[in-house]
Amino acid sequence: MGSITNIVDIDSELAVQTPQEILRYALENHDNIAISFSGAEDVVLIDMAYKIRKDLQVFSLDTGRLHAETYRFIEQVRKHYSINIDVVYPEASRVEKLVVEKGLFSFYDGDHKECCGIRKIAPLRKQLLTVDAWITGQRRDQSPGTRAAVPVIQDDKAFARPDDKLTKFNPLANWTSKQVWDYIRENNVPYNELHDKGFISIGCEPCTRPTGPGQHEREGRWWWEEATLKECGLHAVNIQK
Amino acid sequence: MTTPTITMVKKIFADGSPCKKCGEVEEKMRDAGQLDQLDKIVIAYEADPESEGMQLAARHNVDRAPFFIVERDGQDAEIYTVYFKFVKEVLNAKTSEDEELKEIMNDVDLDFL
Repeated sequence: MGSITNIVDIDSELAVQTPQEILRYALENHDNIAISFSGAEDVVLIDMAYKIRKDLQVFSLDTGRLHAETYRFIEQVRKHYSINIDVVYPEASRVEKLVVEKGLFSFYDGDHKECCGIRKIAPLRKQLLTVDAWITGQRRDQSPGTRAAVPVIQDDKAFARPDDKLTKFNPLANWTSKQVWDYIRENNVPYNELHDKGFISIGCEPCTRPTGPGQHEREGRWWWEEATLKECGLHAVNIQK
Repeated sequence: MTTPTITMVKKIFADGSPCKKCGEVEEKMRDAGQLDQLDKIVIAYEADPESEGMQLAARHNVDRAPFFIVERDGQDAEIYTVYFKFVKEVLNAKTSEDEELKEIMNDVDLDFL
């Protein structure tokens, strides 16, 4: 029970704190901790973290299908903060097998998960085996589902090393997109030029498109697939009753 | 190490239908002959917060189904919400990387990446 209680208690304490305070907690309590940088507005994490500690570990997943603008932006961030960004790649043989068997745009015919699994999740998993904790830019308002509950700290069971622990921090969980953009403007943080072209959510080039007024940012990703409800969540609201 | 007591908690939706993943996991375990290694299967009735499964979910702070509770004498209960980790670490069974990635993709919200 100890570890569960601990994470829940820490989450309650951190949930009311600012992203900077959460980041400070994360960076001070973990030496081997990395920031996952997607090349989008999660750049604010790097800006905030850099003001706390200069020796940051940052990694980006290069799926091989990112926009040219995103590659330029990753490079811009590397130079702007004088940090090393560990660019992580998928296993060539797995990508080759997928392309040979299903072509370059298989995700339009089926769902995107097979391609994401090979190009993003497998390399992410490999990268996370090397750290004790990681930091993401995940926010509650990015997911349209009402079940979206993104804690600021969580025990990451999916990516933990066998019989070991991995802690995941989501310092921006409680921030809105507006708060993120206010921070970017107030602090002159560099941002991906795709945002000026109408992109809110930025992923791989074939799977991302600009969104129109009133559209949720998720409508700019995998738009050809029907939104499916996650079936296996146990509603917290019911549990708490 | 002592033999653990293993409880599987699966979910029934408020409309009475079974949770798809719970069914898939149970089927997989049946095919692999792993069901015999469970001591107990408990239902979390979504419509009944007092049901044993919902109470266990609340006690262990779990918001996914199915999940597994592994109890050993004198030790804290270990909770597994990821099936492949459970079978690898507790049942010492083998799983393929493709299966593991598929489970992660289906279970974990990684759309922010």
